This record gives sequence, C-alpha cells and structure tokens, in this order.
Amino acid sequence: MTDDDDTPPDADDWYGEADPRVPDASAVDFGLLGDDIYLGEEATIPAELGGSHVPSRGHREEAELRELERRMEQQRTPAFPIDLRRRLPLEGVWRRWRALAMWGRSDVVDDFGRDPRATARWEWLFEFLYSRWFRVEARGLEHIPSRGRALLVANHAGSLPYDSAMVMHAVRRDHPSRRDVRPLVEDTVFHLPFLGPIMNRIGGVRADPENAERLLRKDELVAVFPEGEKGMGKLWKDRYRLQRFGRGGFVKLALRTSAPIIPVAVVGAEEAAPMLGKVTWFAKNIGIPWIPVTPTFPWLGPAGLLPLPSKWYVQFGEPIDLAQAHGPAAAEDRLLVNRLADQIRTQIQQMIDSLLSQRRSPVLSAFLG
Amino acid sequence: MSPTAPRAGRVVAVTGACTFLGGELLRRLEEDPTCEHVLALDVRPPPLGPRAGGKVEFVKIDLTQPTVDGELATLLERHQVDTFVHGAFLSHPTHAIEWAHELEDVGTMHVLNACAGVEPRRFVMISTTLVYGAHPKNPNFLTEDAELRGHRDSRFVNDKLRAERQVQRFAKEHPNVEVCILRFAPILGPTVSNMYTRFFSRPIAPVMMGHDPLMQFVHEQDAAFALAQAVRSNATGAFNIVGKGVLPYTTVLALLGRVPVPMPQLVARQVSKLLWATQLVGSPPSFLDFLLYLCVADGAKAKRELGFAPRLSIKRTILDFLGVAPEDGATDVARAQA
Repeated sequence: MTDDDDTPPDADDWYGEADPRVPDASAVDFGLLGDDIYLGEEATIPAELGGSHVPSRGHREEAELRELERRMEQQRTPAFPIDLRRRLPLEGVWRRWRALAMWGRSDVVDDFGRDPRATARWEWLFEFLYSRWFRVEARGLEHIPSRGRALLVANHAGSLPYDSAMVMHAVRRDHPSRRDVRPLVEDTVFHLPFLGPIMNRIGGVRADPENAERLLRKDELVAVFPEGEKGMGKLWKDRYRLQRFGRGGFVKLALRTSAPIIPVAVVGAEEAAPMLGKVTWFAKNIGIPWIPVTPTFPWLGPAGLLPLPSKWYVQFGEPIDLAQAHGPAAAEDRLLVNRLADQIRTQIQQMIDSLLSQRRSPVLSAFLG
Repeated sequence: MSPTAPRAGRVVAVTGACTFLGGELLRRLEEDPTCEHVLALDVRPPPLGPRAGGKVEFVKIDLTQPTVDGELATLLERHQVDTFVHGAFLSHPTHAIEWAHELEDVGTMHVLNACAGVEPRRFVMISTTLVYGAHPKNPNFLTEDAELRGHRDSRFVNDKLRAERQVQRFAKEHPNVEVCILRFAPILGPTVSNMYTRFFSRPIAPVMMGHDPLMQFVHEQDAAFALAQAVRSNATGAFNIVGKGVLPYTTVLALLGRVPVPMPQLVARQVSKLLWATQLVGSPPSFLDFLLYLCVADGAKAKRELGFAPRLSIKRTILDFLGVAPEDGATDVARAQA
C-alpha cells in the first residue's frame, strides 16, 4: 500500500530540496498572506451583519478575538453535515477506500507510464507463458549491451502482441543485467480498451517517432516491430514471410540517435495464433481493423483468444552500428534509408529461415519443439 | 538565464487581475523592487492582501465592450506601460458561450489592437496546454512546436486557441515586442479554482471504460512562480509550464480517493451531454476526450530558456489539492495524520 496514510506529505520529499531561487515561497504565500486575507475578510462580517460600523485597522484585534470566539463556538456546535461526518465513521471508510484503490498500482510512474508495481503484478503471467506455455528458447542474448541504448528490430505475428511480451520477458529474465525493454506498440493495439492501458503500465509505448527518439536518448532498450499492423494481419499461408518494413523510420531513428540495431527473429508466434482468415465486416464498428478467424476464435468465444502452445525460439543477432558506418546525416538520404531497411529485413528473414530449417517436421515440431 | 529588468521602475499592466494567476502576479509584483506601478485591469477590483502597498492601481476595463481598445490604448500611453500581461481567460467552461467568445477571442483582439499602437516592450499571454487537444496521435510529450489541434467541438478550448493564434500573428507583425506565451498544464492546488479542481472535488468521477491516459498537472505555486518569472525574463516564444511527472488517470482518482465510475464511451457521452445540458456539472461533453487520450506537454524548453523548473511532483500536487478540500468528503491530510 502507499505510504501517504502513515507519513506526512513532507517526508517523501523525493522531488528534491526547496528551490534556492524562491526564498521560502510556501511560507510567504500559503501561510502569512493567506491567513491575513482570510481574517481581514472575516473581520468585516460583523459590519455586514450589524451594519452599524466598519472595523478599521484599530479595531482589528477586537475583530480577531471575536472571530476566534466564533470559530470556537462553531467547533462546539457544528452545523449539521459536519456533525454527521464526525459521528459516522466515514473518515475511516474513506481512508480505507483510498488504500484499497491504490492496490496493485504505485503512485510514481515513469515518464512513459510504466508502473513498477503493475509490472510486478503481471510478472507471473509472463513467466508462465515464457517457461511453461511457449517454452521459449532465447539465443544470442549476449549481443544485447548491458548498458546504453539499442534498438531491437523484430518480426511480428499473431493477433495479440505476445511476441513483444516474450522479447521483453526474455531480456528481463535471462540477460545478465536484467534490462527492461520498451516495446513500441502500434496505434490499433495501444488504443484497444483494457489491453492498451495494461500494455502501457508494463512498459509499452505508443509507436511514435518522437517517443522512440526520446527513449533512445534516455539510453533505453527499445523494441520495434517495423511490420506493424501488416505483420499481425498475415494469414497462415503467408507465415514467416516478412512484410514491408514500414517506411524505414527505424533506420532513421538509429542513424539520428546513433543507436545500434539488434535484429531479432521470433519463431513460434505464427503457430500460436494461426490466422486462417480475417473478417473486416463490422470490425471497424468496434474499433479494430479486422476480426481474426483462427482454429479457436471466434468458435470458442473469448477463450479462443488464448494462444496455442507452440514452441518458440527467439534469436538475437549481432548488433549493426549504422551510425558508425554512415554517419547521422544519412538519416536524410531516403534512398540509403530504404536500402538499409531492406537489408535488415533480409537479414531477419535469413535468421527466421535458419531457425525454421532446424525443425524436423513443419507442423508437429512447431508444437513439440 | 539571470532575469534582469532592463530599467528600474517599470510599469506592468495585468488583464484578468481577479483570476488566480492574475492575483498571484499582483502580489509578487508588489514585492518586486524593480516594478514601480501595476495596473490591475478587470471588471471588479482584485482582492488584495491587507499588506498591499500603493503600487497596484485598479482600472475598470471590460474587454467585452466594443470600444475598449481605444480606452486601453490611451491607458497604456498615459502610464508608459512596459510589460502587458494578458490573462483575461475563463478557468471554467460556461454556458454563456457568446459572452465567453466576446471576452476571450474578441477581447484578445481589443488588447492586441491597443498594443499594436503603443508597442509595450514585453507582452505575456496566459494560455493552457488544452490547446494541443487530446488526440490519439499525440506523442507522450508535446513540445511547443507541436500542432495546436484544439478540440473539434469545445468552445472553451477553441476560444483560447483562436486567441493564441492572434497573439502569434501579432508576434510576427511586431518584432519589437517580446511576445511570450505560457501554456499552463491544468493547475491544481489548495486555493485555485478551475475546471479540473471542480471535477476532482466531486466524490465520483467518470472513467472511460478500458482507457487510462496519463495526466499532468502543475501546482498553483509553481504556476504563479512561472508567470512571475516570465514577466521578469526576456525569453520569447511559447513555453509549456508543467509539473514534475505524470500519473495515469485512475491512479489520480485513487490518490484522491474518488470513486471511479467506468462507463462505455457511448453511455458516457450521452450522460455527459445530459448533465451539461441540465447544468448539473461544469465540464462539457468534449472534456471526455481528455479522459480518453493523452495531452501531456514537455517542460524542457521552459527550464532551458525561461529558467523555470517545477518544484513539486504530481503526487505532492494532488495531496496538496486534497489537503484543503474537506468540504466535499475529502479529508484534511494533515488532520488525518495527526
């Protein structure tokens, strides 16, 4: 629970010392002046009531005394609603309600809305999916730097973004420095009711070039899925065929912030939610681009949204330092940016193909591993 | 960085002297030795503290009058006004939309007409971050050069937006005037009263089901300090004045101890329309968009160029606001801890 019920608000002064530029502004503005005004206004009330005289400055002390007396009387015989509140234990109820409402959330989130307590709350689910359900094998984690910025570029599949969650969890669980990956989430998922806010609380950030640049300049690990919506909308027959890599925004980003690109291949996500077809009719009305048709959805209702237990491999490739090779000014060269984006796409496709070729049979080993 | 007045004994004119920020500015200017005279322009005299010296002079100016610009111009000429602070904007949405339009949009035109002739050295405008609008495509931190989207059907926001556009045009046409626009995040605090403080004073608050945007506030003392700093400094351009940190909307409600009422969007819009039409609540239906999407601004430029950095975090701001709002079922924090 939060501490604000036990400690005075001054005790958690984590936002720093008083600003030396303002010489004790709070004391001057809140206290003295405010009280003076209050008393001054109250002192004229007897005049309004009696209407006989206005107390001048000379009468002020008298007025203050009268005011004090009036307040003491009020304390002794309070007006009705105040009385009610004192008698009923509403105060305690309200404090308990506040404590209850703060359950599972912390009162400090980072700039992009990641809530450490909410993250910890969902940890068990990711751990279960990672080690039991998908039995993820992460390879090449040593390519991720233990400090400093990097841009993870991965393929995308499945109707729900399980792959970004698994990439995030792999680094947090198995990398020696336990770094947090900030996955960029496309708009359609980010603004989904319920799912969007949860993704935001556990570290997801809306895919926006400004957001990504800000995160990289803060030396964070950012995961980007350049296929975006097209990657999620792949049909079963197109599985593991990478789609166009957006407009190469991630290359521009890497060049501008001189962040190394780490290619990531995720294998298994396609089998977890094999999309046999998609229905666009009515989907726009409920705010999603299409309704997926999988072997289980919508036949089994909401339970059909659960992923099938396929066997997953996540391969992290060697970092590619584009900024060193081409310089940050290359971000303006559209032809070069597009060529580099396609180069990285090809590389990830090769990583996927080599992972797939290690499977013995195409369907059975997708689940048994 | 160090804000210095160009000459001692300058004259400052403040419109909207009865607003919270206007009043705070008057008090700070009273104590500022470099300021010689303050013209408080409003429709009624501002409540000054008993310690008020003789610096502040009240002049009744009603910006909704059709020929107020001439009146203002002669006033500025006579007093040799050095800095003009334009803060005559509404803090609550109102049903009197015609009057609000006359005051905010046309009133700004009158002010700028007067300033165009007299050309004060400095012009400071009080705006809000609401003019960016809550939009699904907003980045997490809006910088000052982001597009001002406003809101497609909020008169409250759009009048301010139009006023700001006029001031920006004025800045281009009059390069001699240092024009400074302050976009304040929603101001919370124990004494200020605006749309947000009213909204959060109610025991229950609507939540758009399944949506939980990040929110940002600025403490009233930080806001007042920023305004005084803007009057003192020489910085020009637009500045976001925001507090430290962000919190999700539902966490704000939890900290305040308000009961969230989750509603589907369609229901929430209809309920809000009904409540607004019957004048039961003070926030119009368009405000619901700010409970759906992000509208958070970046205060780095104010820190760099204006020398303003907020002192209080969002949590402290919320607790401070809560501490002195006991009449709506909230507890006095200090009393609760005693």
